[in-house]
Amino acid sequence: MTFSGALTLTDLNDFIGPSQTCIKPVEQTNFISGAEKDAGAAATEIRVDSSGSYYEVSADGLSSLRNNSSSGTKLEQAEVNLNDCLACSGCITSAESVLITLQSHIEVLKVLESNPSSEFCDSRKTPVISIAPQSLASLAASLSDSSSTHLRVSPRQVLRRLRRFCKDVLGFAYVFDTTFARHLALREHVTEFVERQEKHRNKNSMGDGHETADRCLPMLASACPGWICYAEKAHSEMLPFIAQTKSPQQIMGTLVKNWMGSKWGKLPHEIYHVSVMPCYDKKLEASRSDFYNEVYSTRDVDCVITTGELELILREKGWDLSKSISGELDMPSVSLVPDPNNVSEDTLPELINHPGSSSGSYLQEIISHVVKTSEMPLVLSVRQMRNSDYEEYILRTEAVDNTGQVIFKGAKCYGFRNLQNVVRKVGKEKGVHVGTGATGRLGDVATSRRIKRGAGSNDAKERPYDYVEVMACPGGCVNGGGQLKAPSTIIKDTDDEGYTRSWSDAGVEIQNARWGSKEWTRKVEEVYWEESSPSEGTNGALGWAPVETRCTGPVVNVPDELIKRVLLEANDVARNLFRTQYRAIENEVVGLAVKW
Amino acid sequence: MSADLPNDIVLIAELPGHEDRAWHVAWNPTKPILASCSSDKTVRLYGYADKFTFLTSIPTGHTKTVRAIAWAPSGNTLATASFDSNVGIWEREDGDEWECVSLLEGHETECKSVGYSSTGTLLASCSRDKSVWVWEVQPDADFECLGVIMEHSQDVKCVAWHPTEEILASGSYDDTIKLYVDDPEDDWFCCTTLTGHKSTVWALAWSPEGQYLASGSDDKTVRVWKRTGKVEFKQVLVLEGHERPVYSVSWGKGKGVGVGAGRLASAGSDGIIRVWELVEKSDDGLLEHRMIAKLEYAHDVYDLNAIVWCPRAGFEDMLATAGDDGVCKVWRITPR
Repeated sequence: MTFSGALTLTDLNDFIGPSQTCIKPVEQTNFISGAEKDAGAAATEIRVDSSGSYYEVSADGLSSLRNNSSSGTKLEQAEVNLNDCLACSGCITSAESVLITLQSHIEVLKVLESNPSSEFCDSRKTPVISIAPQSLASLAASLSDSSSTHLRVSPRQVLRRLRRFCKDVLGFAYVFDTTFARHLALREHVTEFVERQEKHRNKNSMGDGHETADRCLPMLASACPGWICYAEKAHSEMLPFIAQTKSPQQIMGTLVKNWMGSKWGKLPHEIYHVSVMPCYDKKLEASRSDFYNEVYSTRDVDCVITTGELELILREKGWDLSKSISGELDMPSVSLVPDPNNVSEDTLPELINHPGSSSGSYLQEIISHVVKTSEMPLVLSVRQMRNSDYEEYILRTEAVDNTGQVIFKGAKCYGFRNLQNVVRKVGKEKGVHVGTGATGRLGDVATSRRIKRGAGSNDAKERPYDYVEVMACPGGCVNGGGQLKAPSTIIKDTDDEGYTRSWSDAGVEIQNARWGSKEWTRKVEEVYWEESSPSEGTNGALGWAPVETRCTGPVVNVPDELIKRVLLEANDVARNLFRTQYRAIENEVVGLAVKW
Repeated sequence: MSADLPNDIVLIAELPGHEDRAWHVAWNPTKPILASCSSDKTVRLYGYADKFTFLTSIPTGHTKTVRAIAWAPSGNTLATASFDSNVGIWEREDGDEWECVSLLEGHETECKSVGYSSTGTLLASCSRDKSVWVWEVQPDADFECLGVIMEHSQDVKCVAWHPTEEILASGSYDDTIKLYVDDPEDDWFCCTTLTGHKSTVWALAWSPEGQYLASGSDDKTVRVWKRTGKVEFKQVLVLEGHERPVYSVSWGKGKGVGVGAGRLASAGSDGIIRVWELVEKSDDGLLEHRMIAKLEYAHDVYDLNAIVWCPRAGFEDMLATAGDDGVCKVWRITPR
């Protein structure tokens, strides 16, 4: 069994949990032997031997003796692969708890070890690894001593050190970060938002197309695979609202396998592309059929490993990431005149900083666009809702006391609980049925009434959302399930007064270890923003830039030439390159007739 | 009826009508209405003055069993918890029609129990999906999810709010009871776990003043836990003698009962109604108990799924039960 060592379910709070209704493991093919028994007389037992293998043996010891083998028939172990998970309606997301055999660090090492080293060997694949900035921040935070400022390690240093490790030790040919892909994702995201806005504006003149036009806004973020899986399985009514822009990981996949491949003279299946992500569900994302190239039988991202799994590899290979390497502090050396016939680390800008959130800055990018394209000056106000994971961002025309006309209303919404409220809110505003469809008449009654009530209110306060940055993890991607866990020194074992479970004798257990990782998440967030220079106005600890700088537009300087070149040279149309699709997964009736 | 006990349990109304087993009963806290729910997916309402009269049946539209019901403290709103995984919120519209004004979705599998907090501003539900959800009740039949708490390792069978404070208790197939409070800075969280039961905790009931919590279990016991601090509890009593699992407990003030901790009723698979009087002993903090009434075959040979004291002033000696026979019965505890 190849359970990745980093796969654990501890310390989860408000993450989307695995389901009980995963029926996959109990499926067992029954081979009926020649000597048929009466249907009711199936007298066999399942035994487990010391190695954990399952054997089917006859219940009366005799027949197993006659069988020549006293050990009985070895049963096939039920395996769950990611495709099963994607197809099954049982779990909301199961990436953390299923046997992930094809998406583990062991698989990566296996492929790399069997990859011929000679460039001239036909079967050699070009190994490429793309690392998410949140993963770099997590590793950097684990190396930084918070009590001392000299001992801080930046994500850029970590990237340089990992590049050395991945090339020298593991044999990767190229080591990228995913921020350039994210840059493209953000651009595409804005383009899609504008398209949807258009459609939404024109909806009244569209007649028949009215209903689809009404499903344009709010646009919901599409980068979080946990959210996508949940929506597909539990809230299919939300799917039309979810942006079809691919996530940075999948855009990187397209870039590596198509654009870069064409530069390197490699076909998609001649490249082995690994990505390092803060999130287990990214494994599920990479496994989606939409990102599978049937012509070359290959995925855009062949294997996804988490930050924790990368750390395991480092540990297994005995590489000390805390040791600095030469040149790790040099500024990036993106060639001014890149060789048009080649792509390498020097071609792509390194660690592009996108001000906004540490979960990809999607909302901020849309806000910047709205501000930039507005004919009137706009004022942004931010309102924290119930907690810091749920905030509303409202753009108004300039007027005293925030009384200007509302031009845009967006929100960032992280964590399962807040996600519920956004789903409810959007469902109510749009009059779409919320939920699993198990409700029948009841759901209709409730919905029709919601519409009735919603019809009267045209207050500016009640303006529906235009955009929501949805992420399934509380705290967003820096707190992804695949990130390094908080070092034990940060998690408290005792309560504030230093007492340990004084009631345990009376059968009472006081729990105090909840959210021990909050401090830690804050630190990763801080490190994440370390790359941004103060003049850029990003305040990592707060997560968002101050209002003034937010409205002045993006500060990222990515050569437009490069993007043009990518778009021009990639031999596909932009829609396919950067967009994807979603489908509802029907909730099957649970087979067990629960009677209690 | 046990002859040696000081009280009788007298049947005052038999309310048939459900086409399948009756799961739960709930007394409206402000109006003379009793509600019951069933596997037949309906809720039946009865009025009472001199006698009990059938008012209406709500065909809930739930696609599976309605497992539990709860009235809001105002008495104007009823919540239904269904095996179809949803919670329905019902209000009486113009005329006599009960309408579903909101639907709380989110549970992945069977919803087992539902309850309003004492002020009616919060609602909790629990499910076989192991989660406990806390919702804020907002104007216009709107709800906001405040917490999804995954602390139990198994099916969560019941939720119960403290009678005056915002403390929530839940009982589970994992044999534990968990208590939750809101961290004003943060989320709802589990502050305490009570262990002791040897099997599923089917039911929970706070004492009327909230200083005790009673739990009924598949281990055939009822346990009483005393609150000794803000979120600290200590087991102070184990009531044994049940012949089969205890499915329901209810803690009432009692009518004309002197100073004490009130009356605790239990019911379950053995079909017997048991009532204890509980008196707090000031010196050692222990709870003195004596059984004051007992009735066998309350629903003939059928299991009792629920037992609930009427909370309304003047009716505190009334109990309602729901049974596998699809019948609800109302009883009065009378001195012999």
